[in-house]
Amino acid sequence: MKNVRITIFFCLLLIALFLALTGRCFYLQYFKTQQYLDACITQQQSFRNLQPQRGVILDCRGRVLAASNKVQTIFAEPRLIKDAKITSSELAPIMDIGAHIICQQLLESNNPGFLRIKTNADAGQCNAARKIHGIGIQSEWQRHYPMGRLASNLVGFTSRLDNKGLEGVELKYDKELSGSSARNIFLADAHRRPIRAKQQDGVLTNGVGIILTIDATIQQFTRDQLIKQYLEYEAESAVAIVAEPRSGAILAMVSLPDFDPADRSTDPNNFRCRAITDWYEPGSILKPVAAAIALDAGVVNRTEKIFCENGSYSGRYNGEGFGRIGEYRRGFGDLTVKEILINSSNIGMAKIGQRLGKDRLYDGLRLFGFGRKTGIELPGEIDGLLRPPNTWDGYSITRIPYGQEICVTGMQLIRAFCILANGGRLVRPFMVRAVVDNDGKITELKRPPPPVGYIIKPDVAEWVVREAMAGVVNEGTGKRAQLEKWQVFGKTGTANIARSDARGYSDQDYVASFICGAPAKDPAIVVLVSIRKPNRSLGKGYTGGVVSSPVAAKIIEKTLTYLGVKQD
Amino acid sequence: MSQFRFVFVVFCFTAVLVFTVNLRSANNRIFYELCACNAEESQLKQELGTKQLLLESLINPAAISQRVDESNTDD
Repeated sequence: MKNVRITIFFCLLLIALFLALTGRCFYLQYFKTQQYLDACITQQQSFRNLQPQRGVILDCRGRVLAASNKVQTIFAEPRLIKDAKITSSELAPIMDIGAHIICQQLLESNNPGFLRIKTNADAGQCNAARKIHGIGIQSEWQRHYPMGRLASNLVGFTSRLDNKGLEGVELKYDKELSGSSARNIFLADAHRRPIRAKQQDGVLTNGVGIILTIDATIQQFTRDQLIKQYLEYEAESAVAIVAEPRSGAILAMVSLPDFDPADRSTDPNNFRCRAITDWYEPGSILKPVAAAIALDAGVVNRTEKIFCENGSYSGRYNGEGFGRIGEYRRGFGDLTVKEILINSSNIGMAKIGQRLGKDRLYDGLRLFGFGRKTGIELPGEIDGLLRPPNTWDGYSITRIPYGQEICVTGMQLIRAFCILANGGRLVRPFMVRAVVDNDGKITELKRPPPPVGYIIKPDVAEWVVREAMAGVVNEGTGKRAQLEKWQVFGKTGTANIARSDARGYSDQDYVASFICGAPAKDPAIVVLVSIRKPNRSLGKGYTGGVVSSPVAAKIIEKTLTYLGVKQD
Repeated sequence: MSQFRFVFVVFCFTAVLVFTVNLRSANNRIFYELCACNAEESQLKQELGTKQLLLESLINPAAISQRVDESNTDD
């Protein structure tokens, strides 16, 4: 009887154990399936990431502004190295680096799996180094900028670690330039050595190339001239843009101070492209635009004389009053619109503004593109500042026509004057001409559709350019921009900079600007030069006519010669 | 006769085995050569790319302008 009980007990125990085992199996199979499946796959597989080649950035003539090239990097895996001294003494003669330096790096490395020892190693060094235990070779893409500082503010740069665009075109077109990476999956043995390929995860596609409208030669003319003046006048910053008015293509854009893409240990403020990220009150340079709006609206005609109050125009200082307006140097009597522009009369422009009224002036400036982005293909563009007319007071309507109480970017100014030079037709500035695939075939033309519609009447635009602005260069403040071969049209601007610590404007700090184009009959290019805070104490001058117009004239002369534009 | 057949079968079997092994090793060798050629091509492309970039950095307008300025200063 006792034996039967023992037998039954053991049978029950066995059944219980089997039930427990079945339960455990069910638990592992049903509830823990994914966890163990993942662990199994992780253990069996190893991966190799395939990085695509980042696309090239070319200028309009196919010269390389940015390109990627593969370099060999010699690295160490510190956890595999038993004696750092022996390894470093073996490596030292191969790489021409002191053994003590390599040894120190190995001992102080925070990452036990990877320590970069040398980038851009040659084939001989790689072959010798790979024989040492714990040392490996890996290929990686490195970004090069052969033109250095020349177009650094436009092209931007990529991060050194993952080659992601951080500034300029590199950032704006990062997705297109990057391409898509892939991953080779291998079955691996216990030592993580690949046995055979299993599958490829993703499709490796190299990045596409970007062709810009920038011409490196014109960029060089522009930078060369601008930098001379920037240094001579000890200015704070400077901007120059060269554009083709018919299409809106930007041929050159320089922003100073700039930076060397190979050495980024500079002030990060130098990275930005000031022509689209910095706003300023344009000053007199805006007068031709306001005059064109008034002529187009019919509030003033070309022959009519406007009394310019002999240099002092006063109103009330409150409510709808406009305070006191003076001229820059001397007062004027009766002037036509052309004479107002030639002599750069503030009072004449204030009276034109009063005749136009808030709404028409505001609408006209909006149509010329002020107060909104131009849409240029660069990151960080700002809108500028053009307040809605319901916030204007008596000062606004008299100040905006001569470029105060409005903030613009250099790119907005270029667009406005391209519209004038293009017979009043809409222009949209652009800097990316096309996208090309890896075989060099154009896959996408980025040129915006031909402009439709007129901002102002063509005859008004032509008169402002050929008569009034050409008069500024021939007889007015822009005489230093005269050229023998071509008739230049332009307008100078010397804008006071508002104080940051008190009300009103500083009487020491100015933005000296000059916007011009040539030939006046059929403009091939429009050029803007703005130099911020030229050092007035040097006694060399500080106005747009003195500081900026000679630079613009040289840029025009060299560019038109280079482009083969016929002489007048 | 039957002995001859037996030897013939063994010979054929051995020959097929040897041929198979030979094919397999030839396949491996050719695959290795292909990989080596690919690697060499990749390395040559890389060197070409480096030289192209070096050339671009020497003949771009900024570099030429700089050299002209330097030669003018030397004169």
